[in-house]
Amino acid sequence: MFTKKKIIMISVVCLIFAIGEYWIFSTIQNTFEKNTLKETKALVKGITSFAPSNDEALSDWIIELSDIYPDNRFFAIKGVPGEEGSELIGGDEALLDLWQLPEYAEAASYATESVSYLEIYKWPKIVHFKGVPYMLMVAPIPDAENSEARATLLAAINSTGYVSFSRLVDALALIAFVLFGVGFGIATFSRDPISGYAIVVLAAIVLAFVAYPLLEAVRLTLIKDGKFSFNVWKTILSNRQYLQALWGSIQLGIVTATISTFIGFVYAFAVARTSMKGKKLVTTLATMPVISPPFSLTLSIILLFGKNGIVTKQWLGLQNINIYGLWGLALAQTISMFPIAFMTMQGVLEAIDSTLEDASLDLNASRWYTFRHVTLPLAAPGLLSSWLLVFTNSLADFANPLLLSGSYRVLSVESYIEAIGMNRLNNGAALSLLLLLPTLTAFLAQRRWVNRKSFVVVTGKPSTRLSDLASSGVRKALTGFVILVSAFIVGLYGTIVAGCFVKNWGIDYSFTLANIGEALTRGKQSLVSTITLAGIATPIAGILAMVAAFILVRKNFPGKRILESLIMAPFAIPGTLIGISFILAFNKPPLLLVGTGAILVINYVVRELPVGVEGGIAALRQIDPSIEEAAADLGADQATIFRTIILPLIRPAFISSMSYTFVRSMTAVSAIIFLISAKWYHITIQIYNFSENLRFGLASVLATTLIIIVLAVFGLMRLLVRQSEYLEKTITTQ
Amino acid sequence: MTAKSVPVTLSHVTKIFKDPKGKGEVHAVEDADFEVKPGELVTLLGPSGCGKTTTLRMIGGFELPTKGKIIIGDTDVTFLPPNGRQTATVFQSYGLFPHMDVFDNVAYGLKIRKLAKDEIEKRVTDILDLVGLSELMHRAPGRLSGGQQQRVALARSLVVEPQVLLLDEPLSNLDALLREQMRVEIRRIQKSLGITAIYVTHDRIEAMSLSDRIIVMRDGKIQQIGTPSGIYVEPDSVFVAGFVGKVAFFHAQLEDFEPDGRAICRLGQKKVHAGSAVRGLKAGDEVELMARPESLRIVSQEEAVASGKVFAKVYLGSNVEIYVKTETGELLIEIEDPLGKVIPSEGETVWIGFNEKKVRALPAEEQTEGQSK
Repeated sequence: MFTKKKIIMISVVCLIFAIGEYWIFSTIQNTFEKNTLKETKALVKGITSFAPSNDEALSDWIIELSDIYPDNRFFAIKGVPGEEGSELIGGDEALLDLWQLPEYAEAASYATESVSYLEIYKWPKIVHFKGVPYMLMVAPIPDAENSEARATLLAAINSTGYVSFSRLVDALALIAFVLFGVGFGIATFSRDPISGYAIVVLAAIVLAFVAYPLLEAVRLTLIKDGKFSFNVWKTILSNRQYLQALWGSIQLGIVTATISTFIGFVYAFAVARTSMKGKKLVTTLATMPVISPPFSLTLSIILLFGKNGIVTKQWLGLQNINIYGLWGLALAQTISMFPIAFMTMQGVLEAIDSTLEDASLDLNASRWYTFRHVTLPLAAPGLLSSWLLVFTNSLADFANPLLLSGSYRVLSVESYIEAIGMNRLNNGAALSLLLLLPTLTAFLAQRRWVNRKSFVVVTGKPSTRLSDLASSGVRKALTGFVILVSAFIVGLYGTIVAGCFVKNWGIDYSFTLANIGEALTRGKQSLVSTITLAGIATPIAGILAMVAAFILVRKNFPGKRILESLIMAPFAIPGTLIGISFILAFNKPPLLLVGTGAILVINYVVRELPVGVEGGIAALRQIDPSIEEAAADLGADQATIFRTIILPLIRPAFISSMSYTFVRSMTAVSAIIFLISAKWYHITIQIYNFSENLRFGLASVLATTLIIIVLAVFGLMRLLVRQSEYLEKTITTQ
Repeated sequence: MTAKSVPVTLSHVTKIFKDPKGKGEVHAVEDADFEVKPGELVTLLGPSGCGKTTTLRMIGGFELPTKGKIIIGDTDVTFLPPNGRQTATVFQSYGLFPHMDVFDNVAYGLKIRKLAKDEIEKRVTDILDLVGLSELMHRAPGRLSGGQQQRVALARSLVVEPQVLLLDEPLSNLDALLREQMRVEIRRIQKSLGITAIYVTHDRIEAMSLSDRIIVMRDGKIQQIGTPSGIYVEPDSVFVAGFVGKVAFFHAQLEDFEPDGRAICRLGQKKVHAGSAVRGLKAGDEVELMARPESLRIVSQEEAVASGKVFAKVYLGSNVEIYVKTETGELLIEIEDPLGKVIPSEGETVWIGFNEKKVRALPAEEQTEGQSK
């Protein structure tokens, strides 16, 4: 009974899979066939265009042709075969025999017709001579006026490659089918089929959309003219310009990370360790740059400090100011990344039990002594962690340098220029792989080393009382600093909003509403497509993230570590590398996706999955496994448990992972700039285009729109999560 | 609630865990082979890490046995998932659903079984009455006391009328007084429903007071199966004797058997007739003679089998416990009804003898545990 049902189910699912697969693979076959046909026709046309004008010379030419193209066979007929005046010229007799076979009479008549219309005719079937497959073409050799066919060429083009490729595709289809069938079968008959399916699906997704593209990128840098070689890397590593870009990235990373960590620490200290007022406002303001769309801060920095900047030109009257370069970039990056350091440090400082500081003060240590000998050493791993996080982010950053780098070179932009501007994909891939080196090192160091060495003392009882570790003078200084930075942030956002209403920034500051209309009209299509695609990606990423988190936390299976690494990998991989590797992998069969909306959705899902999974894992770890076991024990199957127990319990993580995915997808730049097409454009790229063309008003309008959308989504998320906050408390007290 | 009681049979069940770090294996349960009779409450007793919880989890379907078979009633459930077998588990940490109130928690299993709404309501109300929680029906579990949470967990397991009730150290998170109450409560409910139950604990008093039979486990292996009194009075090994109660051991050689089954042993210079001996012992074997504190007494030098210094004396009303340090270790003598008897004082040297009839000869182990609790 039980097994019979399962077998029926497997058959049905396999049938559905087979139909889907047939559709996909026949599309691939068709595309490939079309391409091959086009190429072959072009080849034959090329050959006929070189035919000697002298009819007598044609027979020599045919012999010559067989020498030039030893793999192919030719036969020429004077005039149009079957018509008056036609006579055989010569060539491979086998072709003629084939032509005269009664079963091909119809084809021959079509061919004759085509030739008299000066068109190339493709023989309906692949023909075989001595076991070698040929594509037979019947091509006209036009006369001098190109009005009539003076001769006809029968050309059998060797198509071993074509046939073997289509066989390969068939084999792949069969292998995919067998793999699917076996995997599905194992999962069905295992004790926990639903988790089995989930693992199979997740593995398929990450293999196809993480591992495969990256391998393609690596492969491209190691292959030259179809052979294995290190040439690409030799070029990259011996080119001054590229090395300059590598050093530029690292230099920028160091500057940004250092300044950001400093500001972040001051912020965190002021919030977590002093009685400064307006902490909530400060915190909210500081988190704005993290969620705000790319280019918006860069844009307002240009508006304020650029050549026509309001501060530099209007107020200070400076003429030769150049914001483009290391320091402009460091400014833009610091403003957008110091919140990362701030939030990390805030977490660390709040986790340090302030009783330790009280104890030190109680033992008659001064505040300064306490700070140096208690607070700072305890916070040190957090400081290092923040530094590394900002460093990684700075290196992977693409949007800021794209607008602001000027003649300063950084790797992320360099690889974009190589890949898209210069159309040297292999160099682009190599450069973005080069970028992976410092990023991955910093990422792993942050993960493995800093996290393990953490001294953070967690008491489980966060003390509500707070001893002020700063004297009133110091507190005032800190507060002043925080206010200054916050005011700067407000100023930057104010500038963007102001930019919407100014006619021509830097030249004509008169008020206008024209920008809004124009920007929204021109940006409408990209705005709609961005929202649509991000909207599609959001639930997919959200559910996948929760399922993945569940499986990674609760299930044990072979290859779990590999699956986890593949799921998490896109978090540490710079967007430019993902973008390039996606183009490489998906601009050809079997997954021809470049130019579709699907590739953008997949890119969003794959890139934002790690954060969602992390959130889900953290939430799940707080849930006692016996809660799920109890549900199973009471008769719930895996899917029911997930729906009725897991999902409600990790709802906050689920909601925040979805809103995160949506916002990040809306504000993505680095990977998607490689993947957009005319049909599926992205709003951020539109902002970039407007700024590049110095249409700052239009760019401001779109940036402001994007900010409003982002804020709305986060507001909604807060509202939804707050409703379930009581949950988190009860789970942790269990 | 008249679920028909069924037996549970484990036949040669072995569970081997792969060591997650190295390539080694951990034999969590080895060749467990026993039967629980219909309506019986059997306890798996043993120190932590002895495999008792793993055994229970295999019966519940949370772990798969590496070898062997598990049969509930007449169904082989070895490879069925938890939701495919008629067991219900009360977890050590209760596993209450924090996002549902008491009613929804208890109703969960019934909703999965797609019962009619009023039927669910009736059964949940009945079971909550049985465990005495009708008033708290709409509380969130986070706002209940430990004992109440425990009873919700019990009600939730019982309401689905399982064939077998599995209890995994259900009382370990409660304070001592509540534990005693719940012990009685669980026993009462189990007997009133006549449900087959398997109970896991490391607490010998809990095991003794609850069980029809006890299975003592150690290092994944079953040491002994028997009634509480059987295991207490006639343990088969030094380990079991020590684990289920306070005991003193005296090293001796088995010399011969009397026709009535008493074992003649040489203890130092003395000949002792031990009241019973573990089956299979033969003349010439090294043995440990075990004596419970209540069969030890203070005697004259001639009758003594050991001597030592009193180092502590605890007055408990109905009896007095005297702790004596001997050459081989410490032992405890219990003097019942102390009024009017001569009680040695601390620091005094005493001569110790035992009631030979109550002494049992156990096979000597390489590592003899002197006196355990």
